Amino acid sequence: MKFNDLLRISTLQVFRHRHRYWGVALVIGLGVAGLITTITMAQEIKKNINLDLDLIGGATIIRGHFDNQKASMPQWFRPETKDALGRLPGVMDISLSIYALGQSKWGKEYYNHTVIGVDDAFWQVRSLSAVNGRLFGAAEVTGHKLSCVLGSRLAQNIFGQQNVYGRFLQINNDIYQVIGVVGGVGDIDLANTAFIPVTTLQDRFPGVLPDHLYLRCRTWDDVAPVAAAIPGVVQARQPEEQLRVVVSWEALKRVQKVSWGIELLIYVAISATLLLAGAGIWNVMMGAVRSRTQEIGLKKAMGAEDRDILAQFLSEALCLSMGAAILGVALGRLLVEITCSLLGSRPPEELFFLALGIGLGFAAVLGVGAGLYPSIQASRMEVVSAIRYE
Amino acid sequence: MNNIFPLQKPAKVGNDCLIQVTGLSKSYVNGTGVIRILKEVNLKVHKGQMVAVVGPSGSGKSTLLFILGLLLIPTEGTYLLEGDDVFSLDRSAQARFRRQRLGFVFQSCDLLENTTVYENLEFPLIYAGVERRERPARIAAVLQQVHLEHRVHHFANHLSGGERQRVAVARALVNHPQVILADEPTGQLDRVNGHLVMDHFQGIASGGDTAVVVVTHDTEIAARCSRICSLEDGVLNG
Repeated sequence: MKFNDLLRISTLQVFRHRHRYWGVALVIGLGVAGLITTITMAQEIKKNINLDLDLIGGATIIRGHFDNQKASMPQWFRPETKDALGRLPGVMDISLSIYALGQSKWGKEYYNHTVIGVDDAFWQVRSLSAVNGRLFGAAEVTGHKLSCVLGSRLAQNIFGQQNVYGRFLQINNDIYQVIGVVGGVGDIDLANTAFIPVTTLQDRFPGVLPDHLYLRCRTWDDVAPVAAAIPGVVQARQPEEQLRVVVSWEALKRVQKVSWGIELLIYVAISATLLLAGAGIWNVMMGAVRSRTQEIGLKKAMGAEDRDILAQFLSEALCLSMGAAILGVALGRLLVEITCSLLGSRPPEELFFLALGIGLGFAAVLGVGAGLYPSIQASRMEVVSAIRYE
Repeated sequence: MNNIFPLQKPAKVGNDCLIQVTGLSKSYVNGTGVIRILKEVNLKVHKGQMVAVVGPSGSGKSTLLFILGLLLIPTEGTYLLEGDDVFSLDRSAQARFRRQRLGFVFQSCDLLENTTVYENLEFPLIYAGVERRERPARIAAVLQQVHLEHRVHHFANHLSGGERQRVAVARALVNHPQVILADEPTGQLDRVNGHLVMDHFQGIASGGDTAVVVVTHDTEIAARCSRICSLEDGVLNG
């Protein structure tokens, strides 16, 4: 039997018996849709969760700094080193900062606290947001502005409240305008800190250079390889004496464990769905072979060989699984689009096509695997018994 | 009652011997012993001949037909079709033989359900490897022979019993077989439709190239054939 005849006949048979197959087709479609959505969106979902990971210690943030107290000569991160680190695979964003000690005066009271000079990427890297006012951006950094953002605890201590936008505060010998209060900080030290533009700090605190670095990785799976690569990248561009790379390994392990568990659960659910679909195909094909016994006998009497009967039933099983899988692809695409609009981000299109290929491949294997035994049974039927079957 | 089916004159028989069966026997073994269905059957059928095989129920008529159609293997005997020893063919070759040289009409298993008349007639052509562009003409030709060309795209389950059997006859003809084997082809039809089917068989046989072997228990139907053989206790007479 020619391939195009086989395909046409099988597709027609499946379509005409669709009342028998719709249940199995639904399960296959849902399974494939789930598989495609999970594979395509997993990284994006991880990335979005990553942005809110400060609740468990910022598991995807890597901190690098030079321990200059032990160094023979003070070290800092050169601009070319920062650029190279920013280009490492898996790095989402990078920020340089300088730590200094400051003293604020409000009224007659003095408050000692940390002052951190940060660039505009700092807030994104640390996932910080303003609870009052705003956080300074590139304009303040490039303009060397005398603006500051206070940690919530520091604002409370100095002003007795957090609604302090527009107030002026003396830090060391300079007057800064408070433009915002930063919140959502799990780290107590940062809550008790004043943040000023890194350029302003370098102007006001002579001799200080950016010796702290924060890297945010795209997902928790990128943390280990990025952390391993940092010393090599630094060493290639500058002295790396007393460089320290700090990772929240405990928090990372907890996150990876939870993530692994959730992913495993999802994939097990999808696999179970598809295996059930395979059992469904087996069952409906066995039923089809039984109910079409006379048809098999008649076709063999017409001159069909055993392999023609095998090919026809196997092809029907494959048409069923692939047809349902194609519907699943359409549903999967819809689910991906909905998830993208909810997350506000989009994965690379190649990932969708990879997932599509995996889904269709799985469905093909399922169709052939589940349909093989019934097809063999059909092909081996004895002609006279089949013709006389009632 | 008017006889609207005048008795047909026997078709002109060709001199060529198409089917030659010698010493054909078929036995089954069950718990009680050996059951002999056919006992050294000898049969010759010529081109253009219409042969009826009659006998009581259980006499082995259908078994003989199935053996002639290479659907059953006999216990012993030889079977030559135009001189070819068909029992020596392997399974695949026998299937090829069936689709090229034999046509079947069954009583209870006539058309494929959920398929159109066109698709029913297309199947033998597909198995015979006929090109798709040639099929419409061949299907139209055989449907014209049975006067059902207007039903070509109708589904089989929309046809009457008589129409279904006539389409089955057309299907048996579509590959231009040398022998048509019909097992109780009128068994589930009324008298009028039964004779219509026999009209078609006579038309086929009268062409001179094809032989028709009809198994029936209906003497009126058997009388329409040019030769009647009776099968009793596994022995063929006539």
